[in-house]
Amino acid sequence: MSAALPDARPTRPARSKLVWVAVALFLAMTAWSWDGIGFSPAELVEKADNARRIVDDMFPVAWQAWPVLVEPLLETFRMAVIGSVIGCSLALLVGFLASQVTAPNGVVYGVSKTLMSVVRSIPDVLYALLFVAAVSIGPLAGVLALVFFNVGVVAKLLSETVDAVPLGPLEAADAAGATFVQRVRAAVFPQVLPNYLAYALYTFELNLRASVVLGLVGAGGIGQVLRIAQTRYRYDVIALIIFVTFVIVFLVEALSISLRRRLS
Amino acid sequence: MIRFEHASVTYPGGVHALKDVSLEIPDGQMVVIVGLSGAGKSTLIRAINGLVPLTSGRVLVDDEDVTAADRKHLRRIRSRIGMIFQGFNLVNRTTVLNNVLMGRLYHTPTWRTILGRYTPEQIDLGMRSLERVEIVEKAYTRASNLSGGQQQRVGIARALAQDPRIILADEPVASLDPPTSHVVMRDLQRINRELGITVITNLHFLDLARQYGDRIIGLRAGELVFDGSGAQVDEKVFEDIYGRSLTADDVLEKRAEL
Amino acid sequence: MAVADLPRSSDARPRAPFPLARRSLLLLLLVLFGWAAATSGIPVERILRAPAGIWNIARLMFPPDWAYAGRALGAMVESVHIAWFGTVIGAALSLPLALLAAKNVTGQATSTGARQVLNAFRAIPELVLAVVFVAMIGLGAVPGALAIGIHSIGTLGKLASEAIESIDRGPLEAADAVGATWLQKMRWGVLPQALPEIVAFWLYRFEINIRASAILGVIGAGGVGAVLSNTVSYRRWDKAGMTLIVVVVVTLLIDAVSGRIRRRIISGGDTSAEVAEGEMVLQAGA
Ligand SMILES: Nc1ncnc2c1ncn2[C@@H]1O[C@H](COP(=O)(O)OP(=O)(O)OP(=O)(O)O)[C@@H](O)[C@H]1O
Ligand SMILES: [Mg+2]
Repeated sequence: MSAALPDARPTRPARSKLVWVAVALFLAMTAWSWDGIGFSPAELVEKADNARRIVDDMFPVAWQAWPVLVEPLLETFRMAVIGSVIGCSLALLVGFLASQVTAPNGVVYGVSKTLMSVVRSIPDVLYALLFVAAVSIGPLAGVLALVFFNVGVVAKLLSETVDAVPLGPLEAADAAGATFVQRVRAAVFPQVLPNYLAYALYTFELNLRASVVLGLVGAGGIGQVLRIAQTRYRYDVIALIIFVTFVIVFLVEALSISLRRRLS
Repeated sequence: MIRFEHASVTYPGGVHALKDVSLEIPDGQMVVIVGLSGAGKSTLIRAINGLVPLTSGRVLVDDEDVTAADRKHLRRIRSRIGMIFQGFNLVNRTTVLNNVLMGRLYHTPTWRTILGRYTPEQIDLGMRSLERVEIVEKAYTRASNLSGGQQQRVGIARALAQDPRIILADEPVASLDPPTSHVVMRDLQRINRELGITVITNLHFLDLARQYGDRIIGLRAGELVFDGSGAQVDEKVFEDIYGRSLTADDVLEKRAEL
Repeated sequence: MAVADLPRSSDARPRAPFPLARRSLLLLLLVLFGWAAATSGIPVERILRAPAGIWNIARLMFPPDWAYAGRALGAMVESVHIAWFGTVIGAALSLPLALLAAKNVTGQATSTGARQVLNAFRAIPELVLAVVFVAMIGLGAVPGALAIGIHSIGTLGKLASEAIESIDRGPLEAADAVGATWLQKMRWGVLPQALPEIVAFWLYRFEINIRASAILGVIGAGGVGAVLSNTVSYRRWDKAGMTLIVVVVVTLLIDAVSGRIRRRIISGGDTSAEVAEGEMVLQAGA
């Protein structure tokens, strides 16, 4: 046997050690949260009967209740439209301010970026909860919640798109004597417009789904009916709401996919 | 007229890209700058419109001090200097005409830019510029749908739309094939001859420089090592500029044959 | 001679095409918005009073009740647990569906079917699911985690199936050549290639699920939402403010850590992975 042979064999790369650390971390986190939420398969099995009863209650679906849903549904749709339009418009401004490419200076960049992250870290329903307290129950609170939520989502996606834009056209605008705003509008905006529109459509879908539940905390829309159905144990009505949500989300998604295909 | 007075540029990294350069370019000249990669050609050209600020010395354009100009003043100076880039620097996702009209930004109120509504006069000027480079039929095509040569002509039209006194071209043909390179260089030459616009071009290839330049400026390591006509550039001058003898890489036609 | 004085050299100038698609889209948007605004029934004076109302509450929240930090943090940790456990459930259940939904693993027909199943999971908001699960198994964090898990199956499955579809076919053919079984092929031919990307999606979903789990409490499905809901309904604004701060800080911390790991997994620390997030969002839909 040649003595040189073992030397030629590579040792296993150190990377695998990292993988084991990751696996250990994963298991630890899972065990911790298992314990934290008090998860118990045995208990779930015990509840199976009750679960079956709820499912039984859901059928037959309360189709006859649909007239009750029409107005709240329209309200949901209106909230999504208004929230999307206002939120995405504001996000256009914030998105540009929060990119290093288009921010007027480092301070504005830092402040907008931080503000954006903070706004994004609060979920839609928590906004609704606060706005219901601030402006009272109704769709206005819902719209405000959606606006904040959208600014967070769209501005982040937009600013990251702007960060990656080719810089050549900006230089060309500078060389032609453009002002700061002109440079953003003429050299950057056209480059990110298709992405921006796609993000806006995406948030409209998100909004529609969000505005289904905002009513749970009193912010208008079909969620209010959901809340009432919940307190009266009308699972057949909840089943109807689930069905209706299904249909709307599928319809809007189909529409959004076809629009997006045209955009690109 | 453009005047460099003891102009030096030191980049933040400590590179001395331009060392005490003094020179004068009268109106209407066709000037070609040659030199090795890293010699400071781009730096010299960009100093003229203030894209690269000087660390010492002065640059004057029509007796206005670019070095001392504030933002507003600098924009006014820049509005009279068109610029053409190696990578074309077009906005791919919009029309050719919109790209050309970027040359009118200085003369367009900001609200019009925001709405994207240009006046008929502006559009007419944009169209004339496109006609000059014979590509007007593409006015409403998306810039990304053009070939490299066509894109560079749009770049030239954008510079023309500024109605400039000077055009700076930083390696305008480095991304193009030889026949297209000649088309673009001829366009620049015609602009210089017919419109009397001063044209300053960086070129990598010596034969192109000799063919199109009325005057050739040689840079080496940030220093001015040659300033004269194309006919004066012989083997010795070449070695001064490039620090070695001529090879096939330095001429366009030889490369094309390879 | 100036450019403006040049003669018009030709009649070849094209006419500006009418931007039909753009105009009709804009019009549609305006009409929709106009209709929504006109029929919303939101009184104008209420809109005008809104900024003052919001300002008033924001002012009452600060300074926050620092003594409440422990309580809020405890609830937020429960939200994190819910998000993690929910993501794990979603990830585990989505993998088999993702394999079925990948065209290169199964076929066109199975893939289309599996995709519709994934879409169905995505369509129902987690809060609606949580309402049902709370009814089934009672108040608490477990129904919340289940709701998040079930809802996550949709997006995770879709993204994973697309990652699987974009793998290199070579190893699969090699596995066929040595006579591997279907399961072996998946384990050695498919997963190793797609797994880094898929794990990154899991982490990304975890970040989203943190936000989702923070709201579950408003219907009694555990976590920090209940605390915020209570402090708000008892008008304890200083406590609500503290809770909000905890939500923001913990969420941002997890975003930062998870985002860094994600980038590391996908591109070895390259920041270009940031943009991939936009792409990812567009691929997967909402
Ligand atoms: N922004 C910058 N920061 C730091 N150093 C720079 C910068 N731009 C250029 N340099 C350096 O300055 C020197 C001159 O650069 P310049 O771009 O002017 O050369 P060039 O002659 O145009 O070269 P090339 O033919 O490669 O375009 C080079 O050494 C380059 O590395
Ligand atoms: Mg250069």
